[in-house]
Amino acid sequence: MSNNKEESVKKLFTTQSASVNTNRGESYYAELYAKCQKRLDELKQLKPLNNRMDFLESIEEEGLDRRDFLKWASATTAMLMLPASFTPLVAEAAVLMNRVPVIWMELQDCAGNSEALLRSDGPQIDEIILDIISLEFHETLQAASGHQAEKQMEEAIEHFKGKYLLFVEGSVPLGMEGYYGTIGAKAETFVDHLKRVSKDAAAVVAVGSCATYGGIPAAAPNPTDAVGVMDIVKGKPLINIPACPANPSNMVGVILHYVLTGNVPELDSLLRPKFAFGYRIHDNCERRAHFDAGEYVEEWGDEGAKNNFCLYKVGCKGPMTFNNCSIIRYNEGVNWPIGVGRGCIGCSEPDFWDKYAYERPMANANIKAPTGGVEKSVDEFGLGLLTAAGIGIGIHAAASYVAGKKEERGEA
Amino acid sequence: MSNKEGYKQVKRMTTAMRIIHWVNVFSMIVAIATGLYIAAPYYQTFIADDAVDKYVMAWNRWGHFMVAIIFDVTSIIVAYLYFFSRFEKPYKKVLPTGANIKEFFEVLLNLVTLNRRKNFDSTHSDSFNTVYFTIFHLLLAWMLFTGLQLYVHGLESGESSIGAWWPWILHVATDWTVPFSTWLMGSTATGANLMDVRVLHHMTMWLIVVWVLFHIYYQVWRTIFWGEGDISIAFGGTKFVKESN
Repeated sequence: MSNNKEESVKKLFTTQSASVNTNRGESYYAELYAKCQKRLDELKQLKPLNNRMDFLESIEEEGLDRRDFLKWASATTAMLMLPASFTPLVAEAAVLMNRVPVIWMELQDCAGNSEALLRSDGPQIDEIILDIISLEFHETLQAASGHQAEKQMEEAIEHFKGKYLLFVEGSVPLGMEGYYGTIGAKAETFVDHLKRVSKDAAAVVAVGSCATYGGIPAAAPNPTDAVGVMDIVKGKPLINIPACPANPSNMVGVILHYVLTGNVPELDSLLRPKFAFGYRIHDNCERRAHFDAGEYVEEWGDEGAKNNFCLYKVGCKGPMTFNNCSIIRYNEGVNWPIGVGRGCIGCSEPDFWDKYAYERPMANANIKAPTGGVEKSVDEFGLGLLTAAGIGIGIHAAASYVAGKKEERGEA
Repeated sequence: MSNKEGYKQVKRMTTAMRIIHWVNVFSMIVAIATGLYIAAPYYQTFIADDAVDKYVMAWNRWGHFMVAIIFDVTSIIVAYLYFFSRFEKPYKKVLPTGANIKEFFEVLLNLVTLNRRKNFDSTHSDSFNTVYFTIFHLLLAWMLFTGLQLYVHGLESGESSIGAWWPWILHVATDWTVPFSTWLMGSTATGANLMDVRVLHHMTMWLIVVWVLFHIYYQVWRTIFWGEGDISIAFGGTKFVKESN
């Protein structure tokens, strides 16, 4: 599916507004509060799943105290765009996260999103929470392999039918009947695998730009016909958390929101949670003043770069990218791309590799002509021209023949 | 006013039309100069100044958006006059009637034969000119819709200085440009990409520049070849035609 024009025309008049409603009024939040409390009470009745780790013990083992945890809880409450009164509920939901089973599957990917939540500079609360969730299956992290792993997957699906959250990392190759990517001894294609495992999921979360839009595997010329999860999985609650890699804070935010309310968070037209993708990077960027002042890094390492000038002229795509990394940054506020002095490459937007990540302003981007490559254009143009010439010759020959006949009969 | 022997003066543009014409000229020059800077800042500011003392990109954006809003308003007036003007209703000249189609091609032939053939009445705005005028306003309308779509990206809070209705109406009126731009550009994962709007907004600017070049060339050409003083229409509102016509 290189370009589904029919779909995009359908979307023409159905695109949802991107605006974010951060204040819905007291009665709305009072109702939501009561609903969340009821939901948490229900969850408390359930036993923790196979994962026997206790959250409060775990953070202590990692050398963090309860104060750090509460600081995290209030920051996460703000990130989810809930009033401060929800903080105790968020803290409680974090402790109860081990009641929600999660299956994590990897398709055509680099495991970068798994890496993002494993390789921070020290154990952060977001990462601990991802340890605590009842991760029933994760190819990269689990000890089991081969038939054992397959068995574990089957058992998880069977045991938590209709209850588990399915996290998908990586794109789905559709070319060559899906055989660009297979899994297991039976060589099940990624697309069949995804369809089978998502069938009994409560909700599907596409993590990273590959799972969301096809990402880098889908970059031109998209040799494997890679697509995102939303093109395959239909009729299920689906949440996209794009970015390369997706921010662990946003993964936790989505799970927390689910634990807290039992629902998926409010989504935009690309099915991204508005709490994370409702704002433009540019509008919360620490270098924004330099943008307005016209102070730009002209080339890497120049005087402007040393003075943290705006990176727009070296291709920063912050003004065209919706994500919350300029607010929450990565690794619990340690840093983020623009903070380390390189521009945003728009990794949470569709087609980012082709349309955002060229490290020049758009006007200087030398975007490839839409004909799809030199040889392809030449061949198709040549074939078209030859066909037109052939038809012309045919018409001329036929007309000449008819004219000749007429002449013979002395009619002309 | 004393006319040259054998010529009569005909009115071609009302005062309102001429004001709109020159307001558009001014807005166009500002929009292109600032738009090119916004797309890729082509001059540098003095590094020795503090950021608070300069506001170069901000002033460029200010100018760009101001003339864009002026364009919006003149476009609404032009759209109204297109159908309801009491002077000349341009839409009557683009209807595909036999007379209009014949006039269109006669004017085109007049141009490509370098005035060796002139079989139409040049006292009023002809079909060819009106089609050309219409193309400009369609390009301009596209620029306005895509431009307002790009503008509303910065109003993601849903608020503006004049109320929440403004970003709301911008979304309602311009969100269709996103999938439509992506459809025009082709090659996409989702059928909606904000960057395509930006690319097309930029590319359409070049189409308008081409339009302007031919417009100026053609008006000067008419003035010289027809000898009827067409260039003064935009200034004084009138031109001259031979009495015999």
